[in-house]
Amino acid sequence: MSEGAATIRTRKFMTNRLLCRKQMIVDVLHPGKATIPKTEVREKLAKMYKTTPDVIFCFGFRTKFGGGKTSGFGLIYDSLDFAKKFEPKYRLQRHGLLEIKKSGRKQRKERKNRQKKVRGTKKAKVGAGKKK
Amino acid sequence: MSGEEVGEAVSLLETVESQTQDVTKLVDHLHQKVMEGGYSTSKGISFLELKYQLLLSYLIDLTYITLQKSQGSSIQGDPAVERLVEIRTVLEKMRPIDKKLKYQVDKVVRTAASGGTDSSDPLRYRANPDNLINKLEDVSESESEGEEKKSKLYQPPKLTAMHYEGDETEQDRDQKILERAKKRALSTSMLRELREELNEGPTEIRETTSAQRSRAEKKLRERTEYEEENFMRFSVSKKDKNEMKKVAGFSSLNNLTHFDDISALTEGRTPQAGSSKKRKQSGKA
Repeated sequence: MSEGAATIRTRKFMTNRLLCRKQMIVDVLHPGKATIPKTEVREKLAKMYKTTPDVIFCFGFRTKFGGGKTSGFGLIYDSLDFAKKFEPKYRLQRHGLLEIKKSGRKQRKERKNRQKKVRGTKKAKVGAGKKK
Repeated sequence: MSGEEVGEAVSLLETVESQTQDVTKLVDHLHQKVMEGGYSTSKGISFLELKYQLLLSYLIDLTYITLQKSQGSSIQGDPAVERLVEIRTVLEKMRPIDKKLKYQVDKVVRTAASGGTDSSDPLRYRANPDNLINKLEDVSESESEGEEKKSKLYQPPKLTAMHYEGDETEQDRDQKILERAKKRALSTSMLRELREELNEGPTEIRETTSAQRSRAEKKLRERTEYEEENFMRFSVSKKDKNEMKKVAGFSSLNNLTHFDDISALTEGRTPQAGSSKKRKQSGKA
């Protein structure tokens, strides 16, 4: 499967019935170019396995020394519901399916310091309001 | 050919003739003995004897082939060549067994040469399983445990015979260290290459990967296998990153001219500690 001189090959293909997915190792050959972004890899895998690209999750891409070859992992779920059930939150966030609220570092540290002044269940109440 | 040379040739041929007569006499004698059953092979043929016989047949076939070649006749398809190949393969298969027997054979040869074993020879000591059985009675142990243990100094149990090193002087120790350093110096790359150069036998060419590189490769291979099996990625620690850089990058070029210390052989003294420290620092870049 070559498009713009980037070839994708899959290795160690396994159908994981327990997690309702197919998992494989993805090798991308891209001589002379930079590493291919994950979204392109997803689209190419979708064409190879005749699914939509939104159930495909790929991660862990490492380029070999010298460039030209990248290896990573790919998971293809049977449906999006299964994906939402089994995938870790950070990978869902990468696809935009989940929003994780993150407060800033400073806010977290200040909350912790306010909590230190209180004992027991009142700690949970302390974090709610920000003192001015 | 001049008259001198003719005379020399004649005398040489006469010596050849007399010597061949002696050889034929000896061979006839041996042949007779074998025919009469002087050498018994009822218990089968021993390993060393087999080796002798094979080497002998090998030499015979080899001389036959050289004779053929010196006469100018071709040796294509000669059964002697096949025999040579067969004997050679058998000899090479016998080599690991030979290696295993080496210790025994060397010991026997040494006793034969020195005429008896020395009683304080450290090689005579071997494990004695009888010493592992507890020969003391267990009855009185539990009662007197509390009192006795406080007063007695702990003596480790004497299970096997150990080599006594108490009478070793400083000189002996230094000599031992020097010997070990010499042995180590003999196996450095410089001396190995020198040995290969001056060796008259056939050279063996092996694919060389240094120990450090093979270690790093093995580690990397184990890590990638684990990663692929478990569908995860490791984060590489700084130490591992530096090791990989050292092996794969250009920093290993600096170590091309760093040779091991062979002062044990050249100057007859053990290598100093300071010189090795200097080497370590420059290997950093």
